[in-house]
Amino acid sequence: MTVISRGWDRLTLPGKIVFTIIPLLIALTVGLVAVIAILGQPILDILAANLPIVRFVVAATIVLLMTVPTAFLIIYMEMKIIALMNLRIGPDRVGPFGSLLSVVHGLKVLMKEDFTPTGADSLVFTWAPVVVYLASVMTLLVVPFGDGIVGQAFNLGLLYFFAIGGLSVVGLLMAGWSSYNKYSLLGGLRSAAQVVSYEIPLTLSVVGLILLAGTMNIDTIVRNQAGWFTDWYVFQQPLGVLIFFIAATAEANRTPFDLTEADSEIVAGFATEYSGMRFGFFFFAEYVNVFIISALLVTLFFGGWNAPIPWPWPVSLSIDPSSWGIGLLLLIGIAPVVLTLLFATPFWVASSRIKTWQALVAGFVLANLFIVAIIGAWAYVGLNWVAGILWFMGKTYAFVFTFVWMRGTLPRVRIDQLMDFAWKWLLPASLLNLFVTAAALVVVKELR
Amino acid sequence: MSLIPGLGLAKGMALTLRRFFEPKVTIMYPEERLDVTPKFRGRLQLLYDEWGTLKCETCFQCAQACPIECIDMGGMDTRGRYHVHWGAPETYGERREESALRRSGRPVPDPAYRPFGPIDLGALDRILEEHDHDPADLLPILEETQEAYGYLPVAALKRISHVTGAGYAMIYGTASYYGHLRFEPATAEDQARAVADHRPPEARYLAALGSALDGDGRSAKAARA
Repeated sequence: MTVISRGWDRLTLPGKIVFTIIPLLIALTVGLVAVIAILGQPILDILAANLPIVRFVVAATIVLLMTVPTAFLIIYMEMKIIALMNLRIGPDRVGPFGSLLSVVHGLKVLMKEDFTPTGADSLVFTWAPVVVYLASVMTLLVVPFGDGIVGQAFNLGLLYFFAIGGLSVVGLLMAGWSSYNKYSLLGGLRSAAQVVSYEIPLTLSVVGLILLAGTMNIDTIVRNQAGWFTDWYVFQQPLGVLIFFIAATAEANRTPFDLTEADSEIVAGFATEYSGMRFGFFFFAEYVNVFIISALLVTLFFGGWNAPIPWPWPVSLSIDPSSWGIGLLLLIGIAPVVLTLLFATPFWVASSRIKTWQALVAGFVLANLFIVAIIGAWAYVGLNWVAGILWFMGKTYAFVFTFVWMRGTLPRVRIDQLMDFAWKWLLPASLLNLFVTAAALVVVKELR
Repeated sequence: MSLIPGLGLAKGMALTLRRFFEPKVTIMYPEERLDVTPKFRGRLQLLYDEWGTLKCETCFQCAQACPIECIDMGGMDTRGRYHVHWGAPETYGERREESALRRSGRPVPDPAYRPFGPIDLGALDRILEEHDHDPADLLPILEETQEAYGYLPVAALKRISHVTGAGYAMIYGTASYYGHLRFEPATAEDQARAVADHRPPEARYLAALGSALDGDGRSAKAARA
């Protein structure tokens, strides 16, 4: 006993940690292997029997985990792009080109005090950010990211999207009400008024599209737009796109309709009393919303994950690496070395001032890039969903850029202008769009 | 409103997009510094030697050489006898600016101040003559001045200060100490108050009491005294 305790005392702190963790890891691994070996087949059977549930849980987890880096990326984009538009440099210290600054923001928010004001309704106060965040995240479940990459492709997807998206109003009101602060309450009411007002033109602008598509299944809507980019619904519903874009801007509280938050004038209204990660949830939800409205805009009107131009020469790459046998192993072992030497040779030959190790490093980097490019190209051509995700993300981030660009350009509207615009312009315009679409459909049907 | 709706928006968006690609104006300060012109001297500062005395010998060469006359200086001469000065700060308009005065801690002129008008000083001169221009008689002089003019005009106070040699602040202090001296023409209220002061409230009761006793308030007051 004394030997053990003396030995333990002699260890430094990292040593203690390592000596604790390694046995634990070994035990866990052995236990896991044993469990899989004994119970593996029954568990697999149970999972296979409940595939929809498994699929849902996996999708929900992935979506929930995906939102955090998405928010980080969009916050970084916002800082950097607006800075560049202001002729500034913007974040450039943390990480490459300052890209980790938003992560640092997240850590800062995590480390701040989690404060609940006296007299606040603590239950509602605690749940409000969760409601707002989940209302954003849950809408992503029906957005198809690629061919078959969709959380749940059910036939009321669009309705579900607007229903869940509308839940964020509840969260805002909860936050405003439970803060025990009259300014928070006013801010919450103001946000609710804005979001509810713009919900109507937003939803009505899509009804014309639903008439055209004949379904509310978002996956089907995307598949309807396959082929050339002229098949996208944007060319059949230009007014609808415009209304959707404007209303979605207001819905996500983005400039020029960001009166609820207006960070240059007021303290984010309903979130006045929030601190720490609870505020962080509101903050993240806002940026996730930007991604979501961009994604929905792309999905509904800009072809979703379809490429704008169909691949002109159909290639069927029937590469099956598993059939290569020992050749695959040799390839994995030899190809990196050969490629590194191959790419290092020009540097080595080019100048005697470049040292051998420098040439080797350059060759290694280039070889890696080459391999990634080859694999990427193979995946793009061979796997439909990789191409889909690439196109979808590209289009979506183009619209995210547009929203950031608008924020860098446009001034904020006044509250009465905001309301006037929603009720006097957008709502009649969306109704007009709906009637014209319906009439056109009837006429086309009669002509045929 | 332009002819095409949304043209302004498009113009603005185009502007920011152009800015997006333009070279940036930020200077990464600690790593990168702007060139300074050779004429730049920075902030003027007097240096101390190792014994803690000023190195400046008050030679005025810097003030004389200053091309835009921004240096004015004062100090003791090298023997420590005479106070010497170079440059007239009051000649430079910007030093009389309100913000400059405020920064230097000097009194700031009040724009609400009404400049006093000239008055006929003949009466005041006669009063001063009577008192032999003696500042010791300040209170009688002030009282007589008020009698002559009805109040104490600023010009009169200045004149008194100038002729008697007493400081204006002392004269003003004296005048403001006594309640019956005033600096503005008497208003109707002031006169009414003066009458009331001369006739205290109990006088009415005393008069009524006297008339009730023997028909003569004065004798009753005298008797009471």
